[in-house]
Amino acid sequence: MVEFLTQQAQVFLDIFAYLIPALPTTVAITITAYLLAVTLGLLVSLARLSNRRLLRWPAKTYVDVLRGVPLLVQIFFIYFGLGKVLHLGRFSAGVLAVGICYSAYLSEIFRSGIGAIEKGQHEAALSLGMTRFQVLRQVILPQAARIIVPPAANEFIASLKDSSLVSIIGLRELTRAGREYYSQFFVDFQTWLAVGVLYLILTLGLSRIVAWLEKKYRVHGYGVAR
Amino acid sequence: MGSADVENIIDARDVVKSFGNVRALRGVSLTVKRGEVVVIVGPSGSGKSTMLRCLNALERIDEGSVTIDGIPLDADSRHIHRIRTEVGMVFQSFNLFPHLTARKNIMLAPRLVRKKGETEARDEADVLLKKVGLGDKTDVFPGQLSGGQKQRVAIARALAMQPKIMLFDEPTSALDPEMIGEVLAVMKDLAREGMTMVVVSHEMGFAREVADRMLFFDDGRLIEEGPTAQVLDHPRETRTREFFRKVLK
Ligand SMILES: Nc1ncnc2c1ncn2[C@@H]1O[C@H](COP(=O)(O)OP(=O)(O)OP(=O)(O)O)[C@@H](O)[C@H]1O
Ligand SMILES: [Mg+2]
Repeated sequence: MVEFLTQQAQVFLDIFAYLIPALPTTVAITITAYLLAVTLGLLVSLARLSNRRLLRWPAKTYVDVLRGVPLLVQIFFIYFGLGKVLHLGRFSAGVLAVGICYSAYLSEIFRSGIGAIEKGQHEAALSLGMTRFQVLRQVILPQAARIIVPPAANEFIASLKDSSLVSIIGLRELTRAGREYYSQFFVDFQTWLAVGVLYLILTLGLSRIVAWLEKKYRVHGYGVAR
Repeated sequence: MGSADVENIIDARDVVKSFGNVRALRGVSLTVKRGEVVVIVGPSGSGKSTMLRCLNALERIDEGSVTIDGIPLDADSRHIHRIRTEVGMVFQSFNLFPHLTARKNIMLAPRLVRKKGETEARDEADVLLKKVGLGDKTDVFPGQLSGGQKQRVAIARALAMQPKIMLFDEPTSALDPEMIGEVLAVMKDLAREGMTMVVVSHEMGFAREVADRMLFFDDGRLIEEGPTAQVLDHPRETRTREFFRKVLK
């Protein structure tokens, strides 16, 4: 029994030693893709809220298409399709695919958050001579943050999990490292258990941060009845 | 442009504004002299708010022209921007920024638009808060203020931009009766200091006391205008008379 346990412990140590170097890649893909998604998502949501049809219509199509096609297919399309034309590496293609896909989801979250702020806020700020950008940055977004931050943070967790799909194009992140280890040593149960545990540690850690953010944005000064 | 030799600081001509097939303004001309206080009255939907909102480009006019202190309100965004910095607006629903304290509400535009330093903007905000009787509310968020206090902060916020004109759109109609007086008192002070004011309000006592002129709107048109007492006591138009009979009872 003791022998079995020490042997298993050795196996897991071995696996973790193999997997952990791939963790930074998973984290890097997720963070880079998410930053891209936030930027694109904000622009798309503003286009969707614009009163110019020429901006609104393409933005809506963008969101509909990206939400209607599986991320895996988008990864293939960007790596093998666009990637060949633009000479994208695995990392760039992976980041681009996840980032663009998530920008569609985030744009919907931004749109409902920004749309929930009364029109009067915008008008009061404009009437004081503020520019559209200043109004957005100083008046609208700080208020919308309360609505946006919790679901947007959940999308961050989701994108971390979805970054595993990028393993399909051979980028050596956590899931890919798991597959490599398996194909060398043929231990399947322990390998995928270890991979799962590592994802779980990351996502649970992030959930704690999300909960903290939610509290912070709820308490922040103006939750008091109007 | 923008010099004191323009007598009519507001000069609107034949303004037409539609929303879809609703004709909100059907050709309104109005002028306001520097330092004049004008009160606009009229039934609901007659275009009073729309008129005010056309004066600082919150609405874009379909036809006609608006000139503020010599600056034409046209498609040029620099003109729109300059006019907005010179025209303050107070809304029925206050529209204070709920995420900022009273002081920060007032400081925001001077900091961003007038590029004032932190301490200067803060000192001016505190002076303005004192002026509207809220010197003890500097660090309070709007959520903790009463309606009358909110509206006074909103007035102070507009004044912080040192506007040449103040527009008021029914500033007291969302207030409990006991709070109306405190807001009107601030507005009376402003009028006494020589501020040019255009006020949409059905507070007839206030109008009689401080307004030089009264304008009666109906159905998107300026039906009648004249010295306040004359319009109130001897209206020329039947529609004006009927309106006063309903409002004043
Ligand atoms: N943004 C808008 N979209 C569509 N219609 C509008 C809009 N703003 C105003 N209207 C319409 O234009 C007309 C004039 O409205 P306005 O708000 O100027 O009237 P008002 O005199 O201020 O009325 P009240 O006393 O009720 O405030 C109304 O028929 C109104 O329904
Ligand atoms: Mg109105």
